[in-house]
Amino acid sequence: MDANKKGLAKANEIYNSRGAYAREVKKQGKRVFGYFCCYPPIELLSALDIVPVRILGDMDEPITLADNCLPPVMCIFCRSAFDIGMKGQYDYFDGFVGAHACDGAERTSFIWSNYIKSPCNFHLDIPHTTHNSAVDFFKEQIEYFKAELEKSAGEEIKPEALRKAISDHNHQRALVRQLYELRKPDPPLLTGTEMLKILIAIMGMSVAEGNLLLTEVIGEVKTRENVQEKKRRLMIWGSLIDNAVFTELIESSGLNIVIEDTAIGTRPFWHDIVETEDPLQGVAEHYLKEVLCPRTFRDSGSNYAQDSDSRFGYLRDFAKYWKVDGVFANIIRNCDVHGYEAPVVKDYLTDLGLPVIMIEQDYSTTSLASLRTRFQAFAETIGS
Amino acid sequence: MFVAGIDIGSTITKIVIKNETEILSTVITRTGAEHRRMALQVMTDALANCDLSFESLECIVATGYGRINVPFADQQVTEITCHMRGVHWLFPTVRTIIDVGGQDSKGIKVKDGRQVDFIMNDKCAAGTGRFFEVIGDVLGVKLEEIGPISLRSEKPADISSLCTIFAEQEALLRLSEGTSVEDILAGLLKANAARIHAMVSKIRIEKDVAMTGGGAKNIGLVKALEQKIGFPMVLPPEPLITGALGAALIAGETARSLRTEELRAKKEKRRLEAVTFFDKDSVR
Repeated sequence: MDANKKGLAKANEIYNSRGAYAREVKKQGKRVFGYFCCYPPIELLSALDIVPVRILGDMDEPITLADNCLPPVMCIFCRSAFDIGMKGQYDYFDGFVGAHACDGAERTSFIWSNYIKSPCNFHLDIPHTTHNSAVDFFKEQIEYFKAELEKSAGEEIKPEALRKAISDHNHQRALVRQLYELRKPDPPLLTGTEMLKILIAIMGMSVAEGNLLLTEVIGEVKTRENVQEKKRRLMIWGSLIDNAVFTELIESSGLNIVIEDTAIGTRPFWHDIVETEDPLQGVAEHYLKEVLCPRTFRDSGSNYAQDSDSRFGYLRDFAKYWKVDGVFANIIRNCDVHGYEAPVVKDYLTDLGLPVIMIEQDYSTTSLASLRTRFQAFAETIGS
Repeated sequence: MFVAGIDIGSTITKIVIKNETEILSTVITRTGAEHRRMALQVMTDALANCDLSFESLECIVATGYGRINVPFADQQVTEITCHMRGVHWLFPTVRTIIDVGGQDSKGIKVKDGRQVDFIMNDKCAAGTGRFFEVIGDVLGVKLEEIGPISLRSEKPADISSLCTIFAEQEALLRLSEGTSVEDILAGLLKANAARIHAMVSKIRIEKDVAMTGGGAKNIGLVKALEQKIGFPMVLPPEPLITGALGAALIAGETARSLRTEELRAKKEKRRLEAVTFFDKDSVR
């Protein structure tokens, strides 16, 4: 790791070598915990000065070992994450936080804790509705999580430390939203690929280091000249993208990615945690109600149109303020939660006059090339 | 003004040379393994057909799976847009295009001469020309005979699997049970038509429907699809060239939109040669 690198160059370096970065962090005496998905409240980890590292898969690595333990018909992302876990790529974790984000993540978490040894394992149960009783239940689960973490760390999470962590993470959310502001101009000041690398970088850093990096990036990007040409403006909705090869393919096919409603996009950052008297109340409400992955069911409205509008109105706003020309609905094969939601989202966006291209892909860089024709054709469709 | 459109498909390479109003020359040939030489070959042949020089072409657009392998093309456009443009020029009333190619199949939705939606299967051989090549080999029937033979069937066989490999096994099983080749072929065509129909239905099939690509030359597949859709489709006189035709139409538009000196600059850079990975200047 080059200590002199700053801003985008640093984000790029950490994106390219997350493991090496995490091992360096450990050498400095910090503990590193891996966590699945964007639902575990990492504020609790930060409050104990533990560095939260988001578990990702690897689109470049063929899945082999995972197939001995997980059925091949389940989400390829989960299988891939588990596969590289089995291959030792996350052997630096001092703890593993699994989550019942979706059913795939739940199964993978349990199997992970059986096969991949870790000094601390926790499985966070997350209800799938947003009713008051669900929030109460979730808050209780977070309390269990807190107790387990305290046991593992040998120290209590002090209320002031938790409040500070919440405030630091809220600051991080605000900084990420500032980055999104820089993508409003046409052409955007920041490419989708750069954004992806920055977000993946900060998802492997302490909140303080992450915030420093974000501040550097914002300063750097704000003042630079146009880095890309004007192209059709694309919003991505759906399963996460965690490899820049994919965003590069899209952005070299006549499209600029301007906003992404995904788990490595707006979802973890769009809303702040409200600082409630009992901090865990705000934490529970935030994660259950404001992280908008379709893994959580929100019934609202008495008919199809009202329900769609109340659930996806934020996409209409994204499209309006980021001047979106078309939407890519990205489904990782066998991602149930997005697969089931996609037809409604497509309907809703199409009714708003937004063209949608829906692609179910194999989460593998080797199978990406065949998608180029579709993205180019989509750019031609919305450009004509 | 002369322009050309070249469509390097996975299986067949096509070229169209056009003036403002009509098609002057077309060449259709198998792509084969010599992908990169084929562009040069068809261009040379097509120019000879209509007695034109390479320099007389104002603009060249490449499309298809191999569109990046045409070193002398001024522009690359996807086959989706090109098929749409070609079909719209031939049949302005068409709203839905079903293209069954050698390696993929697609549906394209047209409105007011613009494509509004498309859907593509490039993952699975079912519903593509490759399926019929494989089955033709197994049953000892030439590709072009599959359609006519299938029409003789009175009782299409039930084929439950559409995986090309399993369908092959199933066809052999039916043969061993004594089912006739025409019934097996009719069954396979019906099953493939159902699959293509299901895919294209996702973008809503609306009248008129045109069918293009090699699949449109299989009368059995055309009939089976028409039965599914419920009305007849329109077929271009040569269903293989709509992509190249569309590319030539786009080339014409580009040529008209550029100033004379811009066109001249483009032309000067252009060389009629096969792409090679060793000469930096000829690789795009």
